[in-house]
Amino acid sequence: MKLFQVRKGQFVYYNNELHKVYAIKPMYKLSVHLIKLRDLTQHITNAASVERYIPKENDSFIFDHKVYTLSKNQKPVAGNLILINNPSPDTLDHYSLNEIEVVETVDNKGVVTSDLNGIKHTEYLLMIPGRAPDSHPIDYKNMVNVEEDIGGDYPQTIQPYSELSVQLGDIFKKRNSDVLFEAMVVAMKGQTIYLGGGHEVPYEELMDTEKWEFQYNPFNH
Amino acid sequence: MDNNKFKENSVFILSILITLIFIIWGVFFTENLTNVTDAVYNGSIDYLGWVYIGATLFFVIFSIYLLFSKYGNIRLGRKNDKPDFNTGSWLAMLFGAGMGIGIVYWSVAEPITHYTAPPYGNGYTIDAANTAMKYTFFHWGLHPWAVYTVIGLALAFFQYNKRLPAAISSAFYPILGDRIHGPIGKTIDILSIFATVFGIATSLGLGAMQITAGMHDIFGIPNTLFIQLLVILIATVLFIISINTGLERGIKYLSNAAIILSIAIMVLILLVGPALTVIKVFFNTIGLYISDFLHMSLRLNPFSEGEWIATWTLFYWAWWIAWAPFVGMFIARVSKGRTVKEFVIGVLIVPTLGTCLWMSVFGGSALELVQSTGNRDLANYIAENVSLSIFTFFNYLPLSSFLGILGFAVVAIYYITVADTATFVLGMLSEGGTLNPSNKIKMTWGIIQSAVAAVLLLAGGLNVLQTASILAALPFAFIMIIMCYSLQKGLKNELELQRGIRKRE
Repeated sequence: MKLFQVRKGQFVYYNNELHKVYAIKPMYKLSVHLIKLRDLTQHITNAASVERYIPKENDSFIFDHKVYTLSKNQKPVAGNLILINNPSPDTLDHYSLNEIEVVETVDNKGVVTSDLNGIKHTEYLLMIPGRAPDSHPIDYKNMVNVEEDIGGDYPQTIQPYSELSVQLGDIFKKRNSDVLFEAMVVAMKGQTIYLGGGHEVPYEELMDTEKWEFQYNPFNH
Repeated sequence: MDNNKFKENSVFILSILITLIFIIWGVFFTENLTNVTDAVYNGSIDYLGWVYIGATLFFVIFSIYLLFSKYGNIRLGRKNDKPDFNTGSWLAMLFGAGMGIGIVYWSVAEPITHYTAPPYGNGYTIDAANTAMKYTFFHWGLHPWAVYTVIGLALAFFQYNKRLPAAISSAFYPILGDRIHGPIGKTIDILSIFATVFGIATSLGLGAMQITAGMHDIFGIPNTLFIQLLVILIATVLFIISINTGLERGIKYLSNAAIILSIAIMVLILLVGPALTVIKVFFNTIGLYISDFLHMSLRLNPFSEGEWIATWTLFYWAWWIAWAPFVGMFIARVSKGRTVKEFVIGVLIVPTLGTCLWMSVFGGSALELVQSTGNRDLANYIAENVSLSIFTFFNYLPLSSFLGILGFAVVAIYYITVADTATFVLGMLSEGGTLNPSNKIKMTWGIIQSAVAAVLLLAGGLNVLQTASILAALPFAFIMIIMCYSLQKGLKNELELQRGIRKRE
């Protein structure tokens, strides 16, 4: 028996792949509920078959079909993802270990996420899109026997626009508009994003959180 | 440069200054402070009573209107936001935040005090017992929760749907527009901070009195002002350590523990106490409460002395309003993803039933104790030693020492969690609604709120605490009335936006 306490939020290896523990149900035999970071599928197992990994700076991994590298020194901008690896929530905040949230505003003391949590700069690692050349890939515990083309089963990871943080199906809402204007991303060509209703928006404008606000993606769960 | 810095921090600096002036006044001119608060207290009976009475009834009506209005389906947050907490723990947290120390402090003392000196009729009778329970339900029922509903909903709506800072001034966006960042908005924030500091200081003062009483009962430590001040000092040191060492997560566990312990005590008393009487009291008093609701809500005694109303009803109304920014901020933070309808049911209706049940268990058992045995001396003793009341009551039950320790633990935990959360809320309010208030500002508020509580105790205890709340809450009562109008305007605008898109589809 492993004397290892599994806790919600921990990164663990299970079947050689990187997962995150999203719930512990102590009453059940299969008490550890996991989510595979690569494609966000759910898995269920017991504590003996997982092994903990503590993510650190310069680790890179695939989250939701896109590659990210963890960085400590770079300043986040609105729209970036952060991994809260060192949580110390204030009394009224609701976030816990290794939660991944979207940055909404940045100030001197910390960031405010789209879930309206105030997170200090010491509490998180920034997730920079792409795999930095000198980074340490942590997707697999054991890189032997893993096919080089990790995109094989997951065609989305090698999609040409995977480095853009816009996905087909994303719904955006126009800010500071008198009438509610919401539209879905229906196509992407180069840096131009096509929204439903025949609107074309440059990628930079859509990423400007002053002008557009990401709502949700009905195809991602 | 300096000028800019002042502008950025003006809310913090000005509200600290006003509070400091008050503290200095209290420390060096204690007698003068007592005289002035006495004068205000007497004035409040004649001049301010109707303001509080009218405003709180209006909040009840407005909340019920929101429940049935066309805005009921508006979700607080984005369309696909899901609640952060399941409904059970959400309700438990609301209950804990709204009532906290007060519910432990008053649950035995208030019904017994009304029983000995009812608002009308003769004391120590069966009628007096029923009236006592009725007025306890009234003071802890729909009115306080309506105050929290209004302010919690306004804060949540403007924070989550309009993406404005977590400050009270944000709730005035539909009326003031961008002027919420200017002098008018800042004045609103300063007034809200001022009310909050006094609301919290009142709770901390009551808490310190009760912790001391508890230690007196359990450990035999003398029940004196000095020990009360010492309790405040130790608590202040404790939560300042917690702010600086990232023990905030511990505070979260503590506050959950307090809620679970409170429910455990209630169930235990129901089991070892007169359960049947409690159930009868609950149903009977709900009936009395509903049928006399309007009469009690507007009762002011115009042709005679309104002493009773001032000490009880007006004090409570003012205290709830002074508490409101603090509780509202907390409620808003835990209610993202709920619809307006869910919010009103969860914040107005369910906790009202919860507090009524709590009051029936404690008050009903205590009244049974003094009424069935005809023990007038016991009733008088409880009414005269309010902070000891709950421990005196426990002494007449089986498992008394166990209950006493549980009760003491609940009060102590509530005290520390309220003080800690308050520093965070005050930090947020005084830094323009930032979700990342700095530790320095949180610590400053921690020390200031403890100092205010200490000064109020020094100046004369419970009476001064009550009077200070009535004084500090008055401007905020007006702010809250305007807030209702602003909230209604904001909700209307949101509905139009949402309907606009439906028409085009």
